[in-house]
Amino acid sequence: MKTLSYLSLVLVFIFTMGEATNAQERYSRREKKAHYSSDYNYEVQIMGVGQDGTKVMKVSGYGKKVEDAIIEAKMNSVAAVIFKGIPGGHGAAATPAILKDPGAGDKHAEYFESFFSPGGKYLQFITVTTDGMPSGQDRMKMKKGYKVFIYVQVMYDSLRKQLEADGIARSLDSGF
Amino acid sequence: MKKLFSIFIFTTLTLSLFAQAKKPTIMVVPSDQYCISRGYKLEFENMGATQTLPDYKKAMQNDADLRLVITKLGQIMADRGFPLKDLEMELRNLEREAAEASMLMSSSSSSDMAESPVDALKRTAKADIILDLGFDIKRMGPERYISFNLRGLDSYTSKQVSGAAGAGKPSSSASPELLLEEAVLSYMDGFNAGLQTHFDDMFAKGREVKINIRRWNSWMDNFETYFTDKKGEELEMLEHIENWFFDNTVEGRFSLSDASENQMRLEQVRIPMIEVDSRGRERAVDTRRFLSGLSRYLRDNFEIDSKIYVRGLGEAWLIVGEK
Repeated sequence: MKTLSYLSLVLVFIFTMGEATNAQERYSRREKKAHYSSDYNYEVQIMGVGQDGTKVMKVSGYGKKVEDAIIEAKMNSVAAVIFKGIPGGHGAAATPAILKDPGAGDKHAEYFESFFSPGGKYLQFITVTTDGMPSGQDRMKMKKGYKVFIYVQVMYDSLRKQLEADGIARSLDSGF
Repeated sequence: MKKLFSIFIFTTLTLSLFAQAKKPTIMVVPSDQYCISRGYKLEFENMGATQTLPDYKKAMQNDADLRLVITKLGQIMADRGFPLKDLEMELRNLEREAAEASMLMSSSSSSDMAESPVDALKRTAKADIILDLGFDIKRMGPERYISFNLRGLDSYTSKQVSGAAGAGKPSSSASPELLLEEAVLSYMDGFNAGLQTHFDDMFAKGREVKINIRRWNSWMDNFETYFTDKKGEELEMLEHIENWFFDNTVEGRFSLSDASENQMRLEQVRIPMIEVDSRGRERAVDTRRFLSGLSRYLRDNFEIDSKIYVRGLGEAWLIVGEK
């Protein structure tokens, strides 16, 4: 009986070790870091139909400090409108990305580097935000920093027009 | 001589820089279902059967919600570089035009203007892309919500080129007007993205048009008669025409959906958006311009005259045998 219980203990140990190794294989520390520092890793949710030409959304951002996370969230809101699009919800239909080409970011890398630089032009298209310190569920303490959610109103039409004027996006009537 | 050459180069460059494709016209039209369900309809007897048609004039004169939605759609489309043709204005203009045309006389001989029955029949409100609109203000308990349906239809190919449909968020406090405005704002970005995809496809693969080729009764031959072209190739007229389409459409894209000795019906014909004319200028191509090439080919190779009958930017008929 004693041997049987030892054997079952050993089996449980082996099984647990195997699972842990599998998890480590799936996400190494470097991979996890890449996941959190990725430009594409943000969540966005539409919060309703905005005023004419604007989109109101809730968007996430990561940062070592809450302030950094807020700045990143603002950047993400504009990036979502340009590259990702916003899925529908809260009575609002889905909003397509301004740039449909999935490689547009790389194609115009130089332009977007300056556009999204600290204090860059992207800020011009954000009108209202919950700039104060997010609290409760909108502010999560992570292992090395914070993940925050803020509410942002992006001037969708003005942003589209700016990208069209700069030759990055194609206007509906171009070619005619 | 040098100056003349510079002027020539400058003119050629300027003309080629400004060559642009023909812009399709867009008009919002309330759907048949919308008009008929609200009583904006015309009923008449046709061979013993009652036919019901939408009465657009009545709809535009009586429905404030419809006018609001059309105004909002027009505002958004104008902002995107596509001012809409207004249905109400178009109907009013047609009435006025008909009245003026019937009164107009030349000052020297008092002659009136020539107009065939077909010319009169063609005097209708039309656009290249029709925005077929339908919406309903529905109730769910104390709350109201909007069910919205907008379809972008190509007038000639009858294909839906874009669409937006769905139900808005129910509300007990918002007015119907506000809910309608919200619905338009919510759906138009997606709708325009669909329209953009259609235009991108048009520029990549050519404009999709419909062409009918028919024969006059007075023409002694038909499309199954053998003809020899200038290259000495003897084929049925139908095959000669098919070969011409293969050579002149974008990547040879067209489909001959129906053919007999009397007619050929060609669908999904992809015509180029721009071509270089005989003077070296880049010019926008529409179906009439495209078909004039076939008309010329028939005259040059087989000495057959033909008449081009235009039904719009994207549909034309070629009637072979005489002008």
